[in-house]
Amino acid sequence: MRQGVVYINTNFSSVSGFDAERDSMRTCLLTFECCCVCDIQKLLGRRSHGSAGSPVPLPFPMAHGTTTLAFVFQGGVLAAADTRSSCSGLVACPASQKILPIHSHLVGTTSGTSADCALWKRILSRELRLYQLRNGRRLSTSGAAKLLSHMLHPFKGTELCVAATLCGWDDHTSLSGPSLFYVCSDGSRLQGTLFSVGSGSPYAYSILDQGVQWGLTVAEATSIAREAVYRATHRDAYSGNCVDVYHVTSQGWTRRTREDLKEEYYREKESRRQTHEAEKKML
Amino acid sequence: MALEDICNFKDKPTHKTFPFYASEDTSVSVFTEAFNFKWRGEMTSKKASDVPLEFHVPSLFKRPSSRASHSVSVRRPFPLSHGTTTLGFIFQGGVIAAADTRASAGGLVACPAVHKITPIHSHLVVTSSGSGADCMLWERILTREIRLYQLRHKRRLSISGTAKLLSLMLHPFKGTDVCVALTLCGWDKLIYVCSDGARLQGDIFSVGSGSPYAYGVLDRSLSWSLNKEEAILLAREAVFRATHRDAYSGNNVDLFHVTAEGWRQRQREDLKEEYYRDMEKRGKKMDLTGLFS
Repeated sequence: MRQGVVYINTNFSSVSGFDAERDSMRTCLLTFECCCVCDIQKLLGRRSHGSAGSPVPLPFPMAHGTTTLAFVFQGGVLAAADTRSSCSGLVACPASQKILPIHSHLVGTTSGTSADCALWKRILSRELRLYQLRNGRRLSTSGAAKLLSHMLHPFKGTELCVAATLCGWDDHTSLSGPSLFYVCSDGSRLQGTLFSVGSGSPYAYSILDQGVQWGLTVAEATSIAREAVYRATHRDAYSGNCVDVYHVTSQGWTRRTREDLKEEYYREKESRRQTHEAEKKML
Repeated sequence: MALEDICNFKDKPTHKTFPFYASEDTSVSVFTEAFNFKWRGEMTSKKASDVPLEFHVPSLFKRPSSRASHSVSVRRPFPLSHGTTTLGFIFQGGVIAAADTRASAGGLVACPAVHKITPIHSHLVVTSSGSGADCMLWERILTREIRLYQLRHKRRLSISGTAKLLSLMLHPFKGTDVCVALTLCGWDKLIYVCSDGARLQGDIFSVGSGSPYAYGVLDRSLSWSLNKEEAILLAREAVFRATHRDAYSGNNVDLFHVTAEGWRQRQREDLKEEYYRDMEKRGKKMDLTGLFS
């Protein structure tokens, strides 16, 4: 495999939240580089230098085997995910981290290929930090989503697979408050108030649709998120093990202790057995 | 056949039952001595056990292995995706079966008011998923066979027996394009039968593209001790959530409640109303989405 380094120069002259005057005074030239270990030229479909390398076939079909979810409510943004990494039928890691903090007020859930997600999160963190140092302020969640989307665009059509939801809190004057964006390597970039991604997402969606409202308290929101991931892990084979919950507020993100869902399953089984016995006794 | 026995009518079986394929002109009737439905109590009733279990299935290929030799091969107009939400579960008050009413053909809503739950007899109801045409046909075949069994043996076939019969009838079509996934809902039992050959008994089944959404809701709130109203509300809610998120499910919800006295059908309900009621309940949330644009 050849090492290739690609420099992508993009002139971001209108990032959201930027005024026109500052625009003219300071040309905002965002340069970002991504080092890729595979042959970029081949990936981009151009024949180059007669190299004999063929694209690396995937070892197993990707299926976004995960359950991640995020929603916005009055107390900020809540993100939750399971912790199982699967490779087709094998549980490659029962304690992986699918919610990665990007900076103090931005957290990203990952779905798709774990390797791709981890890499692109790091690239995004680095670019956001560089932006912060150059411009003296943090980039908004919307801007971060746009940046990630544009960085992923050259790889559209290749086997790169990243489906992330960026959950952040913005403190700009125009748009402040909680913010949630879904970015995918297909090119989609969607703003919303509720997202769930992965093979377990349908199971989670129905629970979330039932309970998520703007006026939830933090405890209620955490409970719904936990329950949604739990139900998804119960029915979906590719989700399981533990649940991570992250909460993003104006003070930054906080993380709840990782909780093994096995305990929850046994607790529920026990409580159902007890109510069943109580019913039988009453009859 | 029952009527023939009564009338002492003998005729050669040269009937063309279902012109399934244009090039076929013989039907297959399966005689199975292995199917001796002995019931507890009575040892033998000589008259009944002499009747072979004969059922006529639609014509098969002459040579199932060489499909290339067929002159007429019907290609599917669109890929099947079991576009539906059906569910069934058992609780202390019997069995609830619920389904949406949308028939989709690829991206088109072919019919917004289809019956996906069909009664087979007074104590058995079947929910269907897969290809609409195949399901309708096989439900009729099943109804007929069950009725014939009842006439011949003077008792109804059990639900497990019905499931086994259906599974056996579908078996010759395994590997063909027949796509049928039925859940037989009896008053105390729930059995899922599929054209792939699966036959599973369970307490809760949901089938179709909207089934994951329904499973989430059902797993959360289902328990044995629900009363009838709660169970009906739960089934309605599960179908509603599935129709909300799944593009291939929608329109109305049908609900059947099967007990030891028989099945009862709830009036078909348009889920559009339920959606508006739900949105109103979350009134605050709707107003604030404008802030984030």
